[in-house]
Amino acid sequence: MQATLRVPRPLVGRLPTVSPLLLVAVAPVAIILLFVGVLFWVSIQRGTIGTASATYTLENYTALFGDPFVLRVVLNTAIFAATATLVSLAIGLPIAWLAERTTLPGKAALYAVMTLGLLIPGIYTAMGWTFIAHPRIGLLNQWLMGAFGLTEAPIDIATPVGMGFIQGLSLASLGFVLTVQMFRAMNPSLEEASQVHGMGFATTMRRITLPLAKPGIMAAVIYIVTIGVATFDIPAIIGLGNRVYMLSTYIYVKANPSGAGTPEHGITATAGVFMIVVAVALTLWYGQVLRQGHRYQVVTGKGYRPTPIKLGRWAIGAWGFIALYALASKVLPFLLLAYVAFTPYLAAPSAEMLSQLSTAQFQRIDWALVLRGLRNTTLLMLVVPLAVLLFGFCISWLIVRSRTRARYLLEFVAFLPHALPEVILAIGALLMALFVVRGWLPLYGSVWLIAIVYIVARLAFATRALNSSLLQIHRELEEAAFAAGLSTARTAWRIMLPLLRPTLLSVWIWTALLVYRELTVAVFLSSQDSITLPAVVWSYWFSGNRNMAAAVTLIMTVVLVPLIGIFWWYGRRSQVTTQ
Amino acid sequence: MKRMGFSTLLSGLGVLLLLATSCGPAPAAAPTKPAAAPAAPAQGAAAAPPAQSQPASSALQQLIEGAKSEPVLKAQWSSSSFGGGPGLNEIVADMNKKYGLNVQAQFTPGRDMQALMELLAQENAAGQPASTDVYLGNAPAMVDALRTGVLRTIDWKAILDRPIPADPAFDPYAPDGTAVAFGTTLVGIAYNTNLVRGDDVPRRMEDPLAPKWKGKIASTPYAAGMREFAMPDMLGRDYILDYTKRLSQQVGGLIRCGENERLTSGEFAMLVFACGGNDVAELKGRGAPIDYAIVQEATVLHMRYGAVPKNSSAPNAATLLVAYLLSPEGQELLWKLDGMDLPLFPESHLRDQVDQVKNAGGKVAYNSPQWLLSSPGFTEQQQELEKILRENAR
Repeated sequence: MQATLRVPRPLVGRLPTVSPLLLVAVAPVAIILLFVGVLFWVSIQRGTIGTASATYTLENYTALFGDPFVLRVVLNTAIFAATATLVSLAIGLPIAWLAERTTLPGKAALYAVMTLGLLIPGIYTAMGWTFIAHPRIGLLNQWLMGAFGLTEAPIDIATPVGMGFIQGLSLASLGFVLTVQMFRAMNPSLEEASQVHGMGFATTMRRITLPLAKPGIMAAVIYIVTIGVATFDIPAIIGLGNRVYMLSTYIYVKANPSGAGTPEHGITATAGVFMIVVAVALTLWYGQVLRQGHRYQVVTGKGYRPTPIKLGRWAIGAWGFIALYALASKVLPFLLLAYVAFTPYLAAPSAEMLSQLSTAQFQRIDWALVLRGLRNTTLLMLVVPLAVLLFGFCISWLIVRSRTRARYLLEFVAFLPHALPEVILAIGALLMALFVVRGWLPLYGSVWLIAIVYIVARLAFATRALNSSLLQIHRELEEAAFAAGLSTARTAWRIMLPLLRPTLLSVWIWTALLVYRELTVAVFLSSQDSITLPAVVWSYWFSGNRNMAAAVTLIMTVVLVPLIGIFWWYGRRSQVTTQ
Repeated sequence: MKRMGFSTLLSGLGVLLLLATSCGPAPAAAPTKPAAAPAAPAQGAAAAPPAQSQPASSALQQLIEGAKSEPVLKAQWSSSSFGGGPGLNEIVADMNKKYGLNVQAQFTPGRDMQALMELLAQENAAGQPASTDVYLGNAPAMVDALRTGVLRTIDWKAILDRPIPADPAFDPYAPDGTAVAFGTTLVGIAYNTNLVRGDDVPRRMEDPLAPKWKGKIASTPYAAGMREFAMPDMLGRDYILDYTKRLSQQVGGLIRCGENERLTSGEFAMLVFACGGNDVAELKGRGAPIDYAIVQEATVLHMRYGAVPKNSSAPNAATLLVAYLLSPEGQELLWKLDGMDLPLFPESHLRDQVDQVKNAGGKVAYNSPQWLLSSPGFTEQQQELEKILRENAR
């Protein structure tokens, strides 16, 4: 490793060959490799792991790939992921462009709209859409059947395409976040030159803007596809109950069977190894994009001055599009959330139910449990984003600025957790805590175990965002600093950090919010002393207490809105200062 | 050092964070190891004749003394079972009053009963403290517990403040004294009263198979009811296998027993079969359009057992909690919290209902681990039924 991981090219020969950043970067990488190692180790075992009854065999592989049911699951997952990616980028990408490259009036509100999207957990987007488009209780279906005299509901959300659409709505915020930095940093001089030469808007978009945005879009596509493959909450809420299985829910069922039988950790781990293979393919693809990144470096030390595009009367259409999206993905689910929190039992909205609204559910809440969950969630929201930024920056710096082939290993390992369903990471961590480190590290049942998985799981998000930003900062800025006699550290501090500050803040906010609403890992790893607020919500939900689940989520949302406001205001102020 | 470089600063922070993350103190309440065995009655054989048991007062006194050094009793089950967290607080408060203790309850909602038992087995195998100090669960979970040997053997007869009345059809003590039954519910069909009315209300097994219900009814992923109906002395394996295949064609989705709100919302018209009518009654009390029917052919008394994991951190308090649930005041509180009690006791609220079902001529079985184990391959049979229900998927 010492021979391959080097400091940036301008300093070669002046400093030792091992960057101090490597010391930080290697820690999460080691944890990720440990998780992968545990998964592989478990995948080749049958019997109770960690006991004498466990035997080494390849039976898990033959059992998984010989099961025709798995083929149907994989097909469902592919359809679901493709739909989710298409919908999320069809919404997120134009809104990101509108926010950063146009004169759209009131566009500052876009950040609030998109950020608030993360506050609505997937389970409530799913629940909201159940009341909108479920074949039997969906208001839209009932209206369509009445209006056109149909005998059967025309829309069914309990299909891979239906769930993919809802997941896409939920992920549009992420599509926005993944691409907004790219539009913010893109030098508009080429677009302006295009327009000066008489090219219209559409031609400029097709021949200039989109090609310039290609690396960022491709990165977002890869990122969202892998989320689509790995996502759990919406397939669990809508799919499991309707017997439509995705890879993540199949793995969940194998790891956490209801009824007879024992958890099939071997099958789960084998599916995890399969996902690692998928991750290899996606990472190689991403690497191709990254290698061509220099062709798209458009932020230089010379004349970086974005000029927004005037929308004119198209602004009305743009706001109509945004309002429709906000209504479908945020407003309706939130209204449903509030409605359910105040109803005595779960039922479709009606005049009769509206007359029964009360605060009874809030009085039934187990407040000691909620406060325990709040304490753990707060701790995680403070620790995890800081650690993610620290490790993410070190890894990204080495990936983007180092010239050796070893950076692909770092890139791959940092990307790997994203390609793995969080169910797999959680099980890897659980098995590690139970059977590997139990003698010397008391992680089992501790909130720190959840923190480690969160840090590892969010690393891919942080490195994607930081990679994109670092790619668009030309080396000539560093070279100028080095020529002026600044050290690596001072160059990073004085040049890179101010330029990266908006990205760092953005990653901080989104990581904190993702930690805040993260469900899957919490469901697997929460214990008496480490339960988080989302796990409290989930426990109410899965126990059939949906009203109380809604009540707790409503409280969570109300409490966090001011924090979002502070984060957002600070982020915008920081951006203005930087510019 | 004149100034700290950025990279050095990051490295230092990273090391500190790693230390904080990996070597930080365990949560204050987290036990470092399971507590020792209960003060006296544990490890005794349930089947031992009463004369060999210790005097109740002595055994109880030793448990009480042991529980005084156990300040916190952690418990985990579904938040819709036994009154959830508030319910546990009430139970522990009454237990403290009865035995002169000052134990604090800490409730965390958890997995379903069999899944939680698997977690306990995993923790026990790994030498970790149990996620729950006291286990309350069903008979299939007790079968799993016997397989994994995760529960303490306790001489329950020596610590109960009254004997459980005998019933030739049912032994309330699980094999080896690993658990004792304290309550039950009756397996049946839950339905939405807005969607299922009059003659549509299911009375027989075949009623939900009518074409009009295709895609509109739910079942459970763990084949509740059917796994017991398939027993040789009930409706038999062949009939239930065929029935489950036909039911699977009707089913629109799989939900858990506690998810009755998916019936009240109208998403599903019926749940075939539900574990009990107790949570239906609670929802009905809130005005929800839901009711419960027991089919004429058969029903199962879905017994709930109390037990103490070997790696419990508060085994004395846990044992006392189970003993309290079997006291008259404990049974009354359980009825108030979750609409269940043990019909073997004369004051049982469920007793009349059970007698009515028995007198109606249908087959009735007490769901106990002994009964389930009397049919070789019960677990495999349940898995087969679950697979039929699960994999008839889109």
